[in-house]
Amino acid sequence: MLKRATMCLFVISLLLGMSLGVYAQDINLTLWHIHTNVGAAQNTIQDAIRRFETDYPNVKIEEVQIINDEYKTKLMIAMGANDEPDIFMSWGGGPLETYISAGKVWDMTDALVEEGIYDNFLPVALDLGSVGDRVYGVPITNMVAALVFYRTDIFENLNLDIPTTYTELLEVMAVLNDNNITPFALANANKWTGSMYYMYLADRIGGPEAFYKAMMRTDGGSFASEAFIKAGEYLQELVKNNAFPRGFQSMDEDLAQSRNLLYTDRAAMYLMGSWAWGTIKAENESLLEKLDFFVFPGVDGGLGDPSNLVGTPGDNYFSVAQKCEHKEYAIKFLGYLSDENAVEMLIANGHIPPFGEDIGSKIDDPMMKKLYQAVSGSDAVQLWYDQSLPPELAQVHLDTTQALFGLEMTPEEAAQTMEEAARRYHGEN
Amino acid sequence: MIQKSLKHLGLYIFAAAWFLISFYPFVFMVITSLKGRMEFLIKPVWAFPEQFLYTNYIRVIEGGFFRFFFNSVSVSVISVSIIILVSSLASYIISRVRFRLSSLVYGVFVAGMMIPIHITLIPVYNLTRALGIYDSLAALVGPYVAFSLPISVFVLVGFMRDIPLELEEAAVMDGASRMQIYTKVVMPLSKPALSTVAIYSFILLWNEFIYALVLLTSKHNWNLTMGLWNFHGQYSIDIPLIMATLTLAALPLILIYFFLQEQVIRGMTTGALKG
Amino acid sequence: MKGLDHLPWYRRPGVTISLFLAPALFFFALYVLAPIPVSFYYSLFRWDGIGERVFIGFQNWRELTQDPIFWRALKNNVTLVVISILVQLPMGIALALLLTSRFRWRKLLKTIYVLPYLMSAVAIGMLWRYIYEPTFGLLNMFLEAIGRSNWILDWLGDPKVVLYSVINAINWQFIPFYMLLFMAALVGIPDELYEAAKIDGASAWKVFWTITLPLLWPTVTNAAILSLVGSLKYFDLIHVLSGGGPSHASELMATYMYKRSFQHFRMGYGSTVAVALFTIGFVLSMVFLRATRCREYEGGGKR
Repeated sequence: MLKRATMCLFVISLLLGMSLGVYAQDINLTLWHIHTNVGAAQNTIQDAIRRFETDYPNVKIEEVQIINDEYKTKLMIAMGANDEPDIFMSWGGGPLETYISAGKVWDMTDALVEEGIYDNFLPVALDLGSVGDRVYGVPITNMVAALVFYRTDIFENLNLDIPTTYTELLEVMAVLNDNNITPFALANANKWTGSMYYMYLADRIGGPEAFYKAMMRTDGGSFASEAFIKAGEYLQELVKNNAFPRGFQSMDEDLAQSRNLLYTDRAAMYLMGSWAWGTIKAENESLLEKLDFFVFPGVDGGLGDPSNLVGTPGDNYFSVAQKCEHKEYAIKFLGYLSDENAVEMLIANGHIPPFGEDIGSKIDDPMMKKLYQAVSGSDAVQLWYDQSLPPELAQVHLDTTQALFGLEMTPEEAAQTMEEAARRYHGEN
Repeated sequence: MIQKSLKHLGLYIFAAAWFLISFYPFVFMVITSLKGRMEFLIKPVWAFPEQFLYTNYIRVIEGGFFRFFFNSVSVSVISVSIIILVSSLASYIISRVRFRLSSLVYGVFVAGMMIPIHITLIPVYNLTRALGIYDSLAALVGPYVAFSLPISVFVLVGFMRDIPLELEEAAVMDGASRMQIYTKVVMPLSKPALSTVAIYSFILLWNEFIYALVLLTSKHNWNLTMGLWNFHGQYSIDIPLIMATLTLAALPLILIYFFLQEQVIRGMTTGALKG
Repeated sequence: MKGLDHLPWYRRPGVTISLFLAPALFFFALYVLAPIPVSFYYSLFRWDGIGERVFIGFQNWRELTQDPIFWRALKNNVTLVVISILVQLPMGIALALLLTSRFRWRKLLKTIYVLPYLMSAVAIGMLWRYIYEPTFGLLNMFLEAIGRSNWILDWLGDPKVVLYSVINAINWQFIPFYMLLFMAALVGIPDELYEAAKIDGASAWKVFWTITLPLLWPTVTNAAILSLVGSLKYFDLIHVLSGGGPSHASELMATYMYKRSFQHFRMGYGSTVAVALFTIGFVLSMVFLRATRCREYEGGGKR
């Protein structure tokens, strides 16, 4: 009796599963990305899919949104089992190279040229998705620099000026704290959020060369050099002067725990990638009136130019899998992701697309223009450490920086740990 | 007298304190689910909603809630049915038939309780792919059955051992086969233990996360926990919406429990683990 | 016994036994037993999950013995085991006693007390995230409201606190389970025993220690084993609530294994951690089982 019932259930569910699994489409392309939040990128991608499917009714693009924290895991598991999606997103740099060297990614250079979409993209931005002059991933969605967003109304009420040096920053912080306002909205469970402070401090103190030499292991460059130790010291001084909210080490940027403080007048500043403008626009548009930004202040006596930026010329890179059976359609779809419509859509939603040289002329909104000028105007843009370093070292950088924020490591220890990891990685021992 | 009422007072305080601790988070969850996004951030957490906002629930349902619910129901029901069948067959033999390897087989099953799911993740992932059932609900059934077996066999063997031997001997006298003894004698008598197994494994599987995370990709295959997890990522900014999702996800089991409380508790308690 | 030759083949004992056991063994071998040697095999390789597997012998194992994070995770697991057994079991017994007594509201309480057990660990993790939230969370707002803001701790952010915060949520989840388990056992204790004690004028406390607890003991040891095993392989709630952080302060062996294999893409090393976790858990449970079982036989336990 029981057995028969079980069998029936089993068969029924199998049939159900099968009937739902079969689609009457000729060609199916799967697309994976991380834009689970409503916003510029998600709107643009979905709009491109709609337009593409209208023009090619025989092709269906199955879009899978995976939350940021799980994304790399899912992608890696899929690749491990030769089951990767036809089109997928990555952050370029180190991780993408891992996929490339495993033979998973299609070299689309020639196809890009043939389709006439190669010139859609900014050359600097293409570099991060390329090995040599072969392109494996194209930058979509955003040109990014980390900027300090701040609440203009709070600054006005307290008669505060924009800090241009570290010392001024400490003064601003003191006034804010006296008025029970947290200086910086930071959620550091994600680690890359706190890393922005460290990167800026190291750049302001030692200049871009400090990191470059340490990473390339040239000219006696070292992660244990004074610039990095000093950066750690300044960082911990910020922590000790209550720069960050209560419990910031466990707060999650993906859960908006940082921005909620900004929205509820509890915090005044927010160091974040320029995508934050679009995010805030989607989440809480009325706040934009009370929001402006400045570049991270310089450090007195530091070697770095205080107008240098940290960021990336292209945030998300889209690649086509080597095993994709319909590359001709996949590449056409990438065209839809980077055409005029996409540009308009991204700008309207507060992003600066990494496409072409004349983007500036397409931006009307004055704040967006200012953002564009800030992001594209600087001579030196330091690429995120966790994107420029090999994944293994990136992890060490993120871990030691989080420990610095928690005052669990001294600046010397953190710098030493990082340097040892680098030596081990490069086989220098 | 005074001592006695003091003792009573202590009991009441204990009961009330634990009532608050186990219940208040649920109240918090439901109240928050009816608020607006900014309202939650500005007003104290325990403040009553300014007006009941059902829109959060509507959004969750429109986000595919019933699909995930249906998936969870089918996977759990199918898996539990197979568990009952398979584990009772094995337990019957282990508990009531003498054979050489009996204690070894039992020992191996019970030792299975100590095996962490995670050691199997990568091999099971590869296996699922080889079977061609990756990213389908069928992928979950195998691991679900396998990992519920140890505790089920443990409970069932413990129970079946106590069934008087005379009943079975009488059936043997009548010329009944093993299969007939199993279906006609042992199974009916084991109902309490079977319901224990069914309830425990149902709760466990209904809430399972890690296999679903690794073995399912497409949205139309997600079970409820996967739906929950992805809602969490998708609408993270909107805490009341998340709370509405949590409430809806917890509701099915809680409703079943409310309506069948007596049966569930009896099922959980009569056949449960004894010495 | 008569000769078996007259029986059709499918009714011979060996065949019947095999047929009854086969389905269970099939699932068990395929999904539980076989993966163990496979995982051990993976532990001998350097493998990023995508590229080629490189055989490196016992290098992963050597690294494991010197990996401070692994030892920290193990220590956290042991803490979790100890606190679980010392908190969940006594609380479970106390609540079970309350609910099996003639306490007036026990019906209502029974309904409410079980609720946390019905929720998934993922949901509980998400819920407790907003209870522990530093600014908008229930707990801190409550402490502020009663004027105890000096009791506020950085629940999930302070490495010295986070493990206990997380264990607290785990306790919340599992106490109802043990409560049900002990209720089952308490219902089985015949009333006559209590009545006899009452006539002797024994105090409730004494009745508990001399009658209830000894009769409950087999259930207690079973519960302790379940708790031990469950705590050693615990994963879900930590993954959702703290992710093992900050700085690995709430890392468990299972979360560490997941992190190394699926987030840092070191499948070989992750498999090493998994096999170590399995071995440690298995040995500990066996030792525990031996110890308690022996005592039980000496004391003339139930079976």
